[in-house]
Amino acid sequence: MTQDARKILVLVPFPMTPDQLSKRTEQRDEVQLPASVELHYRSTRAAPSNYVSAHDYVLADITLLEAGMRAEEEGYDAVCIDTVSDSGVAALRSMLSIPVIAPGRTMFMTALMLGRRFGVLSMWQRWFGLYERTLRDLAMEDRCAGMRSIDTQPDSKNLFDGKEEDLLPLLHEAAVQLVELDGADVVCLGSTTMHQAHRYLQERLPVPVLNPGPLSYLTADAMLSLGLSHSRKAYPEPLVPKPEMISAMLTAAAEVEGPQ
Amino acid sequence: MNRILVLVPFAFDDEGVARRKAQLSEAAVRAEVTYDFRPVAAGPTSFQSPHDWLLLDVAILEAGLGAETEGYDAVVIDTASDSGVDALRSMLDIPVVGPGRASLLFALTLGRSFGVLAQWEPALARMRKSLDDWGLASYCAGVEHFDTEPDYATLIGDKRDEVFPKMEAACLRLVDCGADVICLGSTTMHEAHEHLSARLPVPVVNPGPLSYKLAETFLAAGLSHSRLAFPRPLVPKQEMIHAMLDAAHRRA
Repeated sequence: MTQDARKILVLVPFPMTPDQLSKRTEQRDEVQLPASVELHYRSTRAAPSNYVSAHDYVLADITLLEAGMRAEEEGYDAVCIDTVSDSGVAALRSMLSIPVIAPGRTMFMTALMLGRRFGVLSMWQRWFGLYERTLRDLAMEDRCAGMRSIDTQPDSKNLFDGKEEDLLPLLHEAAVQLVELDGADVVCLGSTTMHQAHRYLQERLPVPVLNPGPLSYLTADAMLSLGLSHSRKAYPEPLVPKPEMISAMLTAAAEVEGPQ
Repeated sequence: MNRILVLVPFAFDDEGVARRKAQLSEAAVRAEVTYDFRPVAAGPTSFQSPHDWLLLDVAILEAGLGAETEGYDAVVIDTASDSGVDALRSMLDIPVVGPGRASLLFALTLGRSFGVLAQWEPALARMRKSLDDWGLASYCAGVEHFDTEPDYATLIGDKRDEVFPKMEAACLRLVDCGADVICLGSTTMHEAHEHLSARLPVPVVNPGPLSYKLAETFLAAGLSHSRLAFPRPLVPKQEMIHAMLDAAHRRA
């Protein structure tokens, strides 16, 4: 069996300018994807300002659901979410039969294929709630050796942009603490926005460093190669889907927000 | 071009190895990856007691410990028991993939719980031990078997009409127990995957083909196992291990 062409929709969780979006699309060059895989990036039409409170999590869920809920009828073979929060994944899975990849959940499970306990390296302590939410949902809190951050408010649109010299050594120091003090034998990057740090960290750390965005693309490819998708038992369909209502909500949200 | 070594857990002839190699057609593997299948030199006849498990650990370790110097880029074990994986990881830097633990973890990316299809009652002890060792028992909705003695060489073969309905019934019992995903408990069940997937209301994870795609994923992402989780021996004993298996092979 050889691979047929595959169209994967990557949902970016913020409205973006083309230049900002290009910083997300750089992730595709960080792994060797088969030539048959096409990645199409699409921004949400509105978003919370960042992912630090329950208010933000709800808005993240609905904006990502709206951005991807028609992916199947648009001809896509799989959907990836460009955020470790896994926002919108459960709702998208309830509406789509094609694979919807959750980078957070996938990264933590992959970490457990490579080691015994993983640590989460983050930009910002206020993101810890996102990881705790996923770990609680997975009932895998005890597999997490620790979380460390460099306590820097991230720029979700421009990423590291010019700040590499300041940020990368701090991230390295925090990762070393995860390994040496907390007992992590795998390090998970706590955001897809940290992909620009992956190579630097992997070259300097004695443990595998997981880069969640690119890993999600490879996982989508693996699922399609195996004919697998999420379980309908775990993600039941709604009795009455409301795509028009959801689209209208986001049209209204985008109007309130104005040009981004 | 990557080369992956698949270790077959019984000392089969070419025909037996070919039945294992048929798993390659069940996943869209990358064209630029070459898979070589290699049987162990010797090993247990069955796989239902700690005696058997230990022999298989040693046999698989021996069969794969030269993989890196032979130029392979990854090693896959063709048994969902993951026999020999930890020991091989302690000696190799290239990725070593065991289908058992990986298929259960992968199942948890598709649903909240999994059920495991076992071959027959004597296989349950090993499955329960694996679930405990891997710390995954609490995610397991159940283990059901289909009461059929395994034939590791000919697999299901011409017994499909008799065996497939029993497998399907056991899987439906797992779904009734709350399994969101079914994991085939052995790579020897691969011939039933298509049949079961077409008839069950939940995803069915086929451990062998999954392990090939995971090996490809790890290679494409530049990943391998953590050295902190799988430390090297102070004094590797490759020659001793090879001598032991040479002796076992002559004896067999």
